[in-house]
Amino acid sequence: MKDSSQPPFIHRASLQVGTDLNALGQVLSWFDRFSSPSISQRIWLQCKTALAEGFTNAVRHAHKNKSSDVIIEIEVERSPNSFEIRIVDYGSPFNLEEKLKTLPEEIDLEATGGRGLKIMHSIADRLTYTRINDRQNCLLIVKYYSDEDDGCSVSKQPG
Amino acid sequence: MSPTIKVVQPTGLLDGSKANQVRREINECLEGGTQIVLLDLKDVTFIDSSGLGSLVSALKTVRSSGAKMLICSISDQVRILFELTSMDRVFKVYANREEFEKEMASNPEISPASKTAIEGKSARDD
Repeated sequence: MKDSSQPPFIHRASLQVGTDLNALGQVLSWFDRFSSPSISQRIWLQCKTALAEGFTNAVRHAHKNKSSDVIIEIEVERSPNSFEIRIVDYGSPFNLEEKLKTLPEEIDLEATGGRGLKIMHSIADRLTYTRINDRQNCLLIVKYYSDEDDGCSVSKQPG
Repeated sequence: MSPTIKVVQPTGLLDGSKANQVRREINECLEGGTQIVLLDLKDVTFIDSSGLGSLVSALKTVRSSGAKMLICSISDQVRILFELTSMDRVFKVYANREEFEKEMASNPEISPASKTAIEGKSARDD
């Protein structure tokens, strides 16, 4: 998909959306501007998948019972070797590290929910949830390109 | 006798609410006596975890009514999601509809109707 109105390489951008699960499509197509031929399709799709889980988690959990006007801010930064996705919400403080420890090793294969955190945790090289001021939290998802498991780490030659 | 096969083919982003619509469509197929539901995902661009949860829930309903649910034509994103969540162990996935049809034609094991027939026969043989 080509869009000539956009500069070819965007390294950093942010998006504000309401507390609305229906905004997921908008979030995902906004993220498409960060795609680049230098990033493998696999890493790219993993980041997109993690972003979807981060956003819907903010709507479902952090902003549970909040009005749809409450803003969720998404910021993405693409550096030469990693993607950093930040999702800022107005929820209550939450100890993600503790929660991740309590997730079962093997999730019930036939569970009809509860996979979101596990998915983000498997994709991210770093996953943190931090209280950034007295009203907001930030979910940080970091993914390094070089951690690719299908063995194309040799191809990072300039030119 | 060949089993009744119905193809369900959703489009776009399969999030929780969209996948629930798919689930309802599958339920209608079952009520109409469908024995095999093929979920063709070729036009699905993206699935999130809640969409996935609804598909698992649909699979359970299908099984409990004695039918089968198979999937074909998944995108790279769906493949990644299925791998991350070990869904490759839960869903039977075909590369495309052709592959599904080929298997249907060559493998009577997959058809619930003929499977019952085979089980019935071996029981008599005992």
